[in-house]
Amino acid sequence: MLYHNLKYSLKVLLKNKGLIFWTFAFPIILAIFFKLAFSDIENKEKLDIINIAVINNEEYNSDEIFKNTFAELSNKDSENYMLNITYTDLSKSKKMLDNNEITGYLLFSNNEVNIIVKNNGINETILRYIVDEIQSNKEIINNLIENEIRENNNFSIDYKTITENVKKQVLDNNIKLNNISNKNLSYTMIEFYTVIAMACLYGAMLSMYIVNMKLPNMSNVGKRISISPSNKNKIILGSLFASYILELIGISILLIFTSLILKVDYGNNLPLVFLTAIVGSLAGLSLGLFLATVIKTNENAKIGILISVTMLECFLSGMMGITMKYIIDKNIPIINKINPANMITDALYSLYYYDSLKRYSLNILSLLIFSIILIVISYITLRRQKYDSI
Amino acid sequence: MTVFKTFWKIVKKYKGTIILYTVMLIAFGGINQIANENETDFVNSKPNVIIVNNDEEKGLTKNLIDYIKNNSNIIDIKNTEEARNDAIFFRDANYIIYIPNGYRNDILKGLNPEIEIKSSGDYQSSLAEMILTRYLKTQSIYNKEIKNETELINTINKTLKKKSIVEISSKLNTDEITKISRFFNFASYSIMAVILYIICLVLYSFNKDIVKKRTIISSMNYKKHNKLILFASSLFALLICILYMILSIILFKESMITTRGLIYLLNTFIFTFTALTLALLVSSLVNSKEAISGIVNVVALGSAFLCGAFIPVEFLPEQVLKISRILPAYWYINSNELLKTTEILNLSTLKPILIDYLVMIIFGIIFIIINNLVTKKKRVS
Repeated sequence: MLYHNLKYSLKVLLKNKGLIFWTFAFPIILAIFFKLAFSDIENKEKLDIINIAVINNEEYNSDEIFKNTFAELSNKDSENYMLNITYTDLSKSKKMLDNNEITGYLLFSNNEVNIIVKNNGINETILRYIVDEIQSNKEIINNLIENEIRENNNFSIDYKTITENVKKQVLDNNIKLNNISNKNLSYTMIEFYTVIAMACLYGAMLSMYIVNMKLPNMSNVGKRISISPSNKNKIILGSLFASYILELIGISILLIFTSLILKVDYGNNLPLVFLTAIVGSLAGLSLGLFLATVIKTNENAKIGILISVTMLECFLSGMMGITMKYIIDKNIPIINKINPANMITDALYSLYYYDSLKRYSLNILSLLIFSIILIVISYITLRRQKYDSI
Repeated sequence: MTVFKTFWKIVKKYKGTIILYTVMLIAFGGINQIANENETDFVNSKPNVIIVNNDEEKGLTKNLIDYIKNNSNIIDIKNTEEARNDAIFFRDANYIIYIPNGYRNDILKGLNPEIEIKSSGDYQSSLAEMILTRYLKTQSIYNKEIKNETELINTINKTLKKKSIVEISSKLNTDEITKISRFFNFASYSIMAVILYIICLVLYSFNKDIVKKRTIISSMNYKKHNKLILFASSLFALLICILYMILSIILFKESMITTRGLIYLLNTFIFTFTALTLALLVSSLVNSKEAISGIVNVVALGSAFLCGAFIPVEFLPEQVLKISRILPAYWYINSNELLKTTEILNLSTLKPILIDYLVMIIFGIIFIIINNLVTKKKRVS
């Protein structure tokens, strides 16, 4: 009986093209869109070589420190390579700035360096910091020379040696910074995790559809089943198994596709990624069962509720911008603690970013509790249902 | 008139969808509004930094903290490592500086203590690192010469105080125009989704077999029937277009009542025309309700993601932008972006924008031609 029902439930589900599109194809299409749109975003946020122009006038040419430093900063073989400098005249620089070819240009006049930029921005700020730093290096040199004069109180100072010495110190990077950040810092991964979460919860469509079909108040098939002498537990169980199997197949295809073809990074612990998908699908399954049994309305309204609930949950877990997840996690954590889409996203995130499994286990546990609660409520609602007339 | 009235009756049934996409657009435009005021003086960009101080906040340590505070935004966050790690991952903070215990004493002893940092690896974090290393370098050079702490602090601060002059050449209020462009870029998604979805669903109701058969045997001339439907669809598209135009005027006020603003509106109008022709084409190609929502979502989301409605164009990979030229939304967004950077508006600077308009109109004509071919074939069969 269980097997028989399972087989036919599978057939019914597979024949419904709309369902298969939303649960199988749509997450994959969405993941492809994400990949196409987000693949470059992090590279473009890294510090790039800044294009600038320098007005090649007499004052600039007599400024040894600026000239030398710029030579170093625009040397492609140097590890300090940061600037791509065009030496030109004022009108050309203006034109280049207007055409957005350069971030800004520098004009040396009256002992000052004027930085001319088009608008505020990060590259503009970095350009200013570079100029400021060279200016303060100049001041350091002057100060040290003054010091030398004051301390030694003689006039036979070797300016050249001091200048060279200080320049060496300035260029010599003796600052000890130790970067201890975690390695996996690619935040766009969260977007793909939310797609997995969405796919898990969209699985609810399968279980909802098939359970609706077995309910006497929802379909004619349901009416016939309910007057038959068959065991209702087995019928519902068979249907649920069928939708769970399909859901797991869909999620596995999605996981394999995203990790192998779209190169989504799930961290190193693949079995646990699959465990997340299995438990997440269970949450989706129980959500569908819950909506099918507890909410008494027509099928279209149920689908409407399901899609809007899922979309809201995905939105809160960062699908339309990862900042949303962070804002909720930081300010109103309780919302995301009871949000199954976030539990799935957060479980995958903690596998990717954190070494310890504490946060991961908590998420998996929450998903299980979520599923059990919904299943129990649905079971209580479903049992001993009787209709005098429909 | 019956046909026309029925059209609107069905549109009314789907008002929830229209409201949903409009609310999304308003929310998006609204979020963009919270940005800064118009600046005429140069303002440094400031990275977001967290300082974890394990030393006593005194002397040199305090001076370092003060310097970082002056040059960056200090992020206030729960004092746990997990909260800090999350902040770095989600780019709430770009840089974390851990000042080690005994930092001040080590410096005073002439040592060069190692400082641990965490970095998000983007522009802002590079900027934060520049700020930090500049301070540390200056300190380490002076530290060899000056032994007195107060004197050392004063000299460091004096050296770092000097700031060069920055002039802004552009007279264009780029912040505001960027916001307008982003609003209209996002509107391309709302327009596309609403027009495609609603028109396809409504026309589907007219094209259902039983309804269609009844229409055919009715006394109404089919040409008149089609004309009325076309008229109603165009009016619907126009209304949506006007609704979003009014929204933009409410959100951006005076900035929209300029030549530039008018060009944005004209652009949106032409894009609406293209979206309408596409909607008519899709509705004659597809005749199942489930397929409609699938196709509409894929087309609308696809062109939004690939053409830069959600993500600024400058962040999209080159190859994607090449592919997206086959979508009308690319040309719409492209002209919005061009409008953003064109400082002086005259016939020669507007030429590339006019080309975009032309491409969108050609798209529209192609859709109409294909639509005619499809309907003709369907009628014959």
